[in-house]
Amino acid sequence: MSWTSKHCLRLSPLMLPYLVLFCGGVFLTVCQSLGVLTPLPYEGGALDAYIKLMGDSAFFASFFFSLGVAAASAFFSVAVGTFLAYRVWQLPRQLATAALIYKIPLILPHISVAFVILVFWSSSGIVASMAHSLGLIQTLHQFPNVLYSGWGIGMVLAYTLKGIPFAMLLVMALLVRFDIRQIQTAAMLGASGLRIFFTIVLPRLAPAMHTGFIILFLYSFGAFDIPYILSESRPGMLSIHVYNLYFKHDLARRPEAMAILVIMFCFALVFIIVYSKIVNRLENGVRKL
Amino acid sequence: MKHALIFLVLLLLFILPVVVLVLVSLAPEWRFPDVWPENFSFRGLIYLARHQKQILSSLSSSLLFSLLTVLTTLIMCLFPAAVFARSRFSGKALLEGLLLTPALVPPMTFAMGLHFLFIKLSLADTLVGVVLILAMFSYPYMFRSLVAGFQAMGEGYGICAKNLGASTLSILLQVELPLLMPAVIAGGSVVFLVAFSEYFLVFLIGGGSVASFTGTLIPLLNSSNRSLAAILTLIFLFLPIVLFLIIDMTLVRVYRKKGMV
Repeated sequence: MSWTSKHCLRLSPLMLPYLVLFCGGVFLTVCQSLGVLTPLPYEGGALDAYIKLMGDSAFFASFFFSLGVAAASAFFSVAVGTFLAYRVWQLPRQLATAALIYKIPLILPHISVAFVILVFWSSSGIVASMAHSLGLIQTLHQFPNVLYSGWGIGMVLAYTLKGIPFAMLLVMALLVRFDIRQIQTAAMLGASGLRIFFTIVLPRLAPAMHTGFIILFLYSFGAFDIPYILSESRPGMLSIHVYNLYFKHDLARRPEAMAILVIMFCFALVFIIVYSKIVNRLENGVRKL
Repeated sequence: MKHALIFLVLLLLFILPVVVLVLVSLAPEWRFPDVWPENFSFRGLIYLARHQKQILSSLSSSLLFSLLTVLTTLIMCLFPAAVFARSRFSGKALLEGLLLTPALVPPMTFAMGLHFLFIKLSLADTLVGVVLILAMFSYPYMFRSLVAGFQAMGEGYGICAKNLGASTLSILLQVELPLLMPAVIAGGSVVFLVAFSEYFLVFLIGGGSVASFTGTLIPLLNSSNRSLAAILTLIFLFLPIVLFLIIDMTLVRVYRKKGMV
């Protein structure tokens, strides 16, 4: 069936806001990155902001740092989440109900999860106290500087804690439809627990894992809330970089902030397309999102 | 035995933080190197009581814009989801992919551009502006859930009602919407959580004028007043749970009354 006016009318409650607010918002970001429609009239070439960024080593440091934090947290979330989901799925029914506690970090806002990481991992936090009582460290200063190591470990921890339940949720949705007889057959034929997990269960969970990876990766790549609480000064996450340019510098640097956003947007689109293409080729057309 | 191990991991990951938050909220002076707080006090709670006006107003503002966001996404997605679930047209897969992008790309990228437009339209610093921006970023969850709901429901009920002479509007309101309620609630819960816990977008578009619970919490997180921060975090955890329980129970009761369960 092709497009009819009825279709257009019925799709309009969604299409109008999408075109005006989403596409319009992105369009305005692009405009401002080119120096058009900025709060102050901009004098300079249209591509000035981009040229400046391309020669700015701080931008690249920040870009690759964000990439690293996002990749690490998405990877750990999906890996741990999938494993935990599989083990929770194997629990007897009464215990499985109690295992619903895994949804707690889903409800907590990102800033609260960041606070939890702060309480646990700061140099005078719970983990340091435990290490002290176990005799691992004697004074506060001996505790490794987890949160301000320059590697973004605090942010990775926070994103992972928030991401694990999300990955579990996606994987569980596939597991409930999983035929347990496949596992029983494999076990009867003498496959080990590890072998069953890696050759039978994992390939069937792959679609949920890929979806989870894409969503979590892109979220941690561009989100603001957790870095705002846990970020280190240099190199910072891109979102913090944009925030500083937007709010803390004078309006003349607005195009620079917007150019970073445009680059982030394009990167996100390219990432989604390339990732789905690669996975599609590997798995012959299983739907990802 | 192996079940005990997995439970220990779950407890350490998900329950221990809550226990520690409860302890922090009751023991403001809990410091290194004590593994267990030395003395407890109600200072955090007293502080909460003293600032209850500000905290309650930010909480109700957050609740208001989150619920309005749920409603807005429902209105935005209801008809389009029916179209996507029931008909085929050229470019459908592409369009569906495009419609899901707002939840995937960093929200900053369109929100900061929109900020300019919202200032021109004097939507910045208003409740409407905040709801619009939150809905724009969270509607894909509602959309996916509704499409799945429409697919699960099938077209039979609607056709049957139509044969009996019901109008399109009454089919939607009296037949389909009640049957879709589980999907609405599933999508709505996610939208609610996203809106309720968002800090940056509310700060950007709402300025200082639209109070939010996250905005009240942020300055406390790095302050010395950790007790209050912990208490507010616990509110963040339990309020949605209570809300979901209430909705769940009312729904069950309504369904039972109608004999649908």
